[in-house]
Amino acid sequence: MSARPRPTSPHLSIYRFTITMTMSIVHRATGIALYCGTVLLVAWLAAAAWGGEPFAVVNAIYSSWFGLLVLFGYTWALFHHLLGGLRHFVWDFGYGFEPGQREGLAWANVIASVALTLIAWTLFVWVA
Amino acid sequence: MREPVVTREMIADPKTKYGDARASTRHFFLQRLSGASNILFTAFLIFIVVRLAGAGRADVVGLIGNPFVGIPFAILFAIVCFHMSIGMNEVIEDYVGEARSNRLAVSLNAFFALAVGVVGAVSILKIVFWG
Repeated sequence: MSARPRPTSPHLSIYRFTITMTMSIVHRATGIALYCGTVLLVAWLAAAAWGGEPFAVVNAIYSSWFGLLVLFGYTWALFHHLLGGLRHFVWDFGYGFEPGQREGLAWANVIASVALTLIAWTLFVWVA
Repeated sequence: MREPVVTREMIADPKTKYGDARASTRHFFLQRLSGASNILFTAFLIFIVVRLAGAGRADVVGLIGNPFVGIPFAILFAIVCFHMSIGMNEVIEDYVGEARSNRLAVSLNAFFALAVGVVGAVSILKIVFWG
């Protein structure tokens, strides 16, 4: 038995962006960013396991302005992907598909991820 | 250029880009399961990073060296690496169609996830057991 080749779908460039579509793309993008970002966590852990000197080097890089910028982005990506994952759980149980609900969930995802990032950095970095 | 005709054997072979139906179901389910575990990982990560932001090595060893922190953290981190390898495979499935580069990308992904997971977990366990 054989089948015809599967049809290919047109890519991003031809669509009008909607919030749900954008959040789907951002979920994937933050997933890829976190994938790469694990290297940062592992470098920190490996340096800590290695000894005081490598650890001091990694710490110095991470606390430079560029390091902090990357970590800030990492925090946002983490929160966004986490909330996006929770949104998928809601969908898996069959809720949140109605018009209005899905847009609401998508907007809640962006707003909450930005808010949580700012709260986390305010509490733990800027104030502490 | 037209793509070759897709046969049932190609679809059943997990090494082709068409994937294996049972493996896909397994991946779907495991991705949710590991995702749920990653919520716990994130809580751990925030706890650890907040306690250790800008801290010296002695404080890091003090916190992660506690087996009740270090061992669950190592396990949860290994699950994260598993989750991210499934996720990246999904991306590869979507964008890397050509069979050879698909296989290469899937292998590189497996290698990366394994390397990151092993180095991370071994580093944590080293701190737990040897300080």
